[in-house]
Amino acid sequence: MMIAEGRYTDALQIILDRNPLPSVCGRICLRPCEDGCRRCNVDDPVAIASLKRAAADFGAYPNAHPDRPRPERIAVIGSGPTGLTVASDLAQRGFQVTIYEAKDRLGGMLRYGIPNYRLPDYALDKDIDHILALGIDVVTGVRIGTDVTLDTLLAEHTAVVVTVGLQGSRALPIPGADSEQVLSALPFLEAAACGEKIALGNNVVVVGGGNVAMDVARTARRMGAEHVDVVCLESEDEMPASDDEVHEARQEGVTLHCSWGPVEVAAAEDNVCGLDVKRCVSVFDVDKRFSPKFDEDEVRRFGADTVIFATGQFADVKDLGVELTPRGGVIAHPESCATSVPRVYAAGDVVTGPSRVVDAIAAGHRVAMCIVRDLTNDAHPLAALIEESNALGEVPQSMKSKLETRRRVQMEKLEFYEAVNTFDEIEVGYTEYEAAREAQRCLGCTTGARLTREKCASCLTCLRVCPHNAPGVKVGGFLYFDAETCHACGACVSQCPAQAISLEGHSDAEMMQRVERILYEPGFDTTLVFACGCTPNLPAIPGDDVRKITVTCLLRVAEATALKALQSGASRIALAGCVEANCRYPHARSLVAQRTAKIAATLHQLDMDKALIVPRESQEEDVHLR
Amino acid sequence: MIVMRLKPIAEIREMVSRHRRVLLVGCNTCAAVSLAGGETEVETLVQTLRLASAQFGPATEFSGGMLQRQCEPEFVEKLDLEGFDAVLSLGCGAGVAFLSENEGIPIYPALDTLFIGAAKGLGSWQAECSACGKCVLGETAGICPTTRCAKGIMNGPCGGVKDGRCELGDRDCAWVQIYDRLEAQGRGDQFDGLGDTKDNSVNSMTCEWDMNPQAGGEK
Repeated sequence: MMIAEGRYTDALQIILDRNPLPSVCGRICLRPCEDGCRRCNVDDPVAIASLKRAAADFGAYPNAHPDRPRPERIAVIGSGPTGLTVASDLAQRGFQVTIYEAKDRLGGMLRYGIPNYRLPDYALDKDIDHILALGIDVVTGVRIGTDVTLDTLLAEHTAVVVTVGLQGSRALPIPGADSEQVLSALPFLEAAACGEKIALGNNVVVVGGGNVAMDVARTARRMGAEHVDVVCLESEDEMPASDDEVHEARQEGVTLHCSWGPVEVAAAEDNVCGLDVKRCVSVFDVDKRFSPKFDEDEVRRFGADTVIFATGQFADVKDLGVELTPRGGVIAHPESCATSVPRVYAAGDVVTGPSRVVDAIAAGHRVAMCIVRDLTNDAHPLAALIEESNALGEVPQSMKSKLETRRRVQMEKLEFYEAVNTFDEIEVGYTEYEAAREAQRCLGCTTGARLTREKCASCLTCLRVCPHNAPGVKVGGFLYFDAETCHACGACVSQCPAQAISLEGHSDAEMMQRVERILYEPGFDTTLVFACGCTPNLPAIPGDDVRKITVTCLLRVAEATALKALQSGASRIALAGCVEANCRYPHARSLVAQRTAKIAATLHQLDMDKALIVPRESQEEDVHLR
Repeated sequence: MIVMRLKPIAEIREMVSRHRRVLLVGCNTCAAVSLAGGETEVETLVQTLRLASAQFGPATEFSGGMLQRQCEPEFVEKLDLEGFDAVLSLGCGAGVAFLSENEGIPIYPALDTLFIGAAKGLGSWQAECSACGKCVLGETAGICPTTRCAKGIMNGPCGGVKDGRCELGDRDCAWVQIYDRLEAQGRGDQFDGLGDTKDNSVNSMTCEWDMNPQAGGEK
């Protein structure tokens, strides 16, 4: 909703309250949130991740305001998404945080595992710089367990958090796997991230069916390999890689071969010449356990100059001295995040095994909450971050019938034939206009009307103006709002005589503040335009000094707000309504017309007719949506 | 409910033109429900008057405040008029009068009180009652001749009715409606019994009403 009003900085602040990595998540998140978007019941979910990116691209990161400094010193080992989150949370609470990172730069897999064409360094650095501005110390190039022992860290810190992720690449125990031209996914991706050139030859075979395999294959294409074959055990339906990744890899010329099990890396004169495989009939048994069955008679060889294994990662923390699972992960209590060593906590992939970035961030919040709780007995603000919120039900039919379907705004991408030649970011990002258009698809669930019961005069105005019948009356004449049905148009807010209704992020008082802020700088012959977010281009407005406040609907501009603008320095105001075909609140039209007429009538009484401009509807033809 | 509407801005400005600091006081009961004197309307009028003052003078300061009801001593007690030299009341006539009785500074009406009425829809009301003190709605099928008839006569319809419409042209004839509704309710025969002189002295002679005279003391 904020983005729909062009308020990127406000939007970014809201995102940062929960997620310290908006620039990262805006690009590479697998978007589980979009499955929960209620717009799914209407057409496509809102492009939440892309909008997050828009907020990070166009909004200004707020200045750091950590709480009063506390004496406790916390060491965070590893600077992936979990480590950055826990460092950010704890530094915000005033703790003295130091991040220890084995590599030269921060970011973990975000920097060294995810290729630049998906997450460029500058995008990652934006988030990291904002986190470090909280006053976090950083020690890079130090591997805890070997360079410095855990005990040394414990002597200097109140608590230590292990968030090192999965740094080891699992290879398959097949003959020839130790040949020179057989590589592992992580070192390969890291080399690519560091800009190293690796001689791969023309034919590369990638083994694995997950997203990492896709990253490896696409990176190999960019390193000059003409033919990249991805070979995986699973059938196409069972592959863990996301559909988008598979699709894009194919577009870039990667060939996928499903249901093959590697048998041997075939070598010829010290060089790899191919990968021998046999047909995999099934991967899982009836109990869904990993138990591949093969047809030994169906075999083939994929010719290769290089074979890269992307067959899973493992935790590489033997030297740390904490108790480990048989598979090598750190054992941490699921509730307290405590390890076998007192004052040492662990979280993220090193505990849970491979997970998504959002899961890693959630793990960071959880361990931060545990540490704050253990050290201060008060984890209240952080506890709210890990609570699950109540989801609203499906969009009711009555509301659906009043919504216009509007497809998701597609983000511009590099053409695949171009993309495959460079490590440039493929997704270009929304323009501000595209972001606003996409944000307008948001139904505003849970940001809807809230009633301050003490002020309500039970006048029923809200009930009468609401196009979705969200308000209802209880016995005794008390009004209430049905959150399932309200979609935050704001019609009731500005009509309520008692000012008893507000929306999340919108009230008449906030509108007044926005007016004061935008008119703060004095101007000459200033025109303040209240523009509906649907209005793509401002119509011709007289005067040199034209300032604009975008709102999701002109209904959000109360009469008093408009008059306030004239008092606060604007010579005239313009109410630029939207074009009907695109209005996200089609019902608002007549109400806006009523409001405009009232403002005009008031100004007429003051002999100030010229202070109001109601532009004719702006034209839509020149707008090209990709 | 008592229905009110905002006076013309020029009239309001004229009333308060001699004052320096004016408090606008809304009323969160009938006036709010009338969409004439709630917090929103107070805020809008404050902004309007400030704008007018800045554009045309005189330099009067306007602020806004709210009372739950302007016609109750317990609520009115809460009004803090420190520093103000006049009040613009966005309440009904009772509110203006009661504030005037209780406060030492001039109280001006920003609204015109129209009638006791019922809502027809958003921002639209219909006059239903004139508080005459002698209710005859039982005999007139719930249609008040004092209110709905332009002449307020008790023995209509008069000669001005045409096709069921009042000669004023802005309404249906109340007496035709009374006749029709009595008929529809199967008591058309009662129509002939209507038309007795109404005792209008109740209205003019009742300036107070105390349901507990012994507790409240002799008046």
